[in-house]
Amino acid sequence: MSYIQVEHLRKTFTVRMKREKGHVLREKNTVTALQDISFQIGQGELVGYIGPNGAGKSTTVKILSGILTPDGGKVLVDGRIPWEERREHVRRIGVVFGQRMQLWWDVPILDSYALLREIYRIPEADYRKRLGELTEALQLEELLRVPLRQLSLGQRMRAELCGSLLHRPGLLFLDEPTIGLDAVSKLALRDFLKWENRENGTTVLLTTHDMEDVAALCSRVMVLGHGQKLYDGELTGLLRKYDTSRTVTVRFENPDTVPDLPDGAVLSREGDQLKIQYAPQEIPTPELLARLQKTGIIREMTIQPQNIDYLIASMYREMDL
Amino acid sequence: MNTIRLYLRSMRMLMKCQLEYPVFFILQTLAQLVMEGGEMMAVILIIDRFDQVNQWEAGDLFFFFGIMSVTFYLTECFGRGLTGNFPSLVRTGMLDTLLLRPRGVMTQVLCSAVDPRRITCIAVGTASLIIGCSLARVQWTLLKAAAMAEAVAFGSMLILGLFAVEAVFCIYSVKSVELVNALSYGGRSACEYPIDIYPRPLRILFTAVAPFALVLHAPASYILDKPIYGWPAWTAFVCPLAGAAFYGLIYCIFRKAMRYYRSTGS
Repeated sequence: MSYIQVEHLRKTFTVRMKREKGHVLREKNTVTALQDISFQIGQGELVGYIGPNGAGKSTTVKILSGILTPDGGKVLVDGRIPWEERREHVRRIGVVFGQRMQLWWDVPILDSYALLREIYRIPEADYRKRLGELTEALQLEELLRVPLRQLSLGQRMRAELCGSLLHRPGLLFLDEPTIGLDAVSKLALRDFLKWENRENGTTVLLTTHDMEDVAALCSRVMVLGHGQKLYDGELTGLLRKYDTSRTVTVRFENPDTVPDLPDGAVLSREGDQLKIQYAPQEIPTPELLARLQKTGIIREMTIQPQNIDYLIASMYREMDL
Repeated sequence: MNTIRLYLRSMRMLMKCQLEYPVFFILQTLAQLVMEGGEMMAVILIIDRFDQVNQWEAGDLFFFFGIMSVTFYLTECFGRGLTGNFPSLVRTGMLDTLLLRPRGVMTQVLCSAVDPRRITCIAVGTASLIIGCSLARVQWTLLKAAAMAEAVAFGSMLILGLFAVEAVFCIYSVKSVELVNALSYGGRSACEYPIDIYPRPLRILFTAVAPFALVLHAPASYILDKPIYGWPAWTAFVCPLAGAAFYGLIYCIFRKAMRYYRSTGS
């Protein structure tokens, strides 16, 4: 049996509209956040969960973490129904929200951890071992005695991660963990998540808009839109499907060379460089390169895949999100 | 017990937080002193004007004022998480964070804040109690001490219950918190004086709805040897249980509200 099992999950919200003139009662609107979502996640998987704003990602995470009750469907996490056995369930999960801190603002983070130890009833020896392990992996040693409010955003995120993993959860939910982080912090965070996943077998569900995160961490992605699951599988498969445009930049020995291009390729000139945009499904890359080589002597050449964000944007467009 | 240890730990940490800003803390504490001192001034003025209100003399009035002050501000000090902090917990989504931890929501809410500035109010109340006892020449017995302890304990539960009503209103995102404030803060102001000086509607309100009269005034009048309405002595020990009943009832409603919160989201 899978670690996480979700079947036909449904959730609608009632939104109260502003009262219109002349009406006594406020109109109520129902918004469907999730309609019939099903998936399974095995233990130790690292899954990316993507979709535009308002697609229902947070709703899913809230239901899976036990703080929201769905309207229908079946959910089992490690054999438990999250919202029915909330306390038992949350003891075994960790949740990090990128925009919401759970540690206490004014005290050194070590004090926050000590209180979390109390809340989760972690045995002293276990706590020490785990804290040592995490502070080393997250490079937190020097920060332990500093109040949270004096830390930078990147340091704070590392501190949060440590706090949410102290009780050794088997499952970690991350909601946009790299939001607002600089490049170094982002890379460090990704390395850490890989380490945690590998060393402790922690299952990770990563919600994000940062496709670089997904590309770096997750082999499997789920795409959500309008409350429905639109794709579930390998990231590379998704990319191949929507990789509709690549650009070849070439510089010929003779800058006036005009290459003979197959139909569908678009040529533009920038200084002495030529840019050729083409769709790899229609024009195979080797064929294009062969043609270019026939045209003249090439001094420099690069092939660029489409930016991953563009790719996702075009996917959303095609799926009409 | 583990919950108590968690509570004490939380309190220690919250105190550390407060003392991060010492000047602010001291100023606020002094401001509280002025506020509560003013309230006590009102009692002094009344006593100065009339030697007696109904059968109550100066010492009695100080005693009633003191027992209410001590009980109310003790509750406000330790129930801060519920009365002051709860709306912001809901608004900022911190309530979700509490739900992510393997502890009861009420426990965590109470662990989330403390208001030590109230210490001056409690001190004023204690002073008033002492003045009251000496003016009224209270002869302390073991039973009277028990009645006192019972009054403060169940009084705290009653007030905590009233604060919980505010929290429930907040969960259902009802804006009319003032309505509840009329019961909690209004109840405090009104029931600083013995209940029998009030007209009938107010007496009913603070006996049957928010039973301050049962929880505080019955034992207080027993201690002063002037039983209210001439009630027998055992009522001083039984009536305060109304505070526990009130809290129990509201706690059930609070749990229901949390279930509602979890099904609607924030």
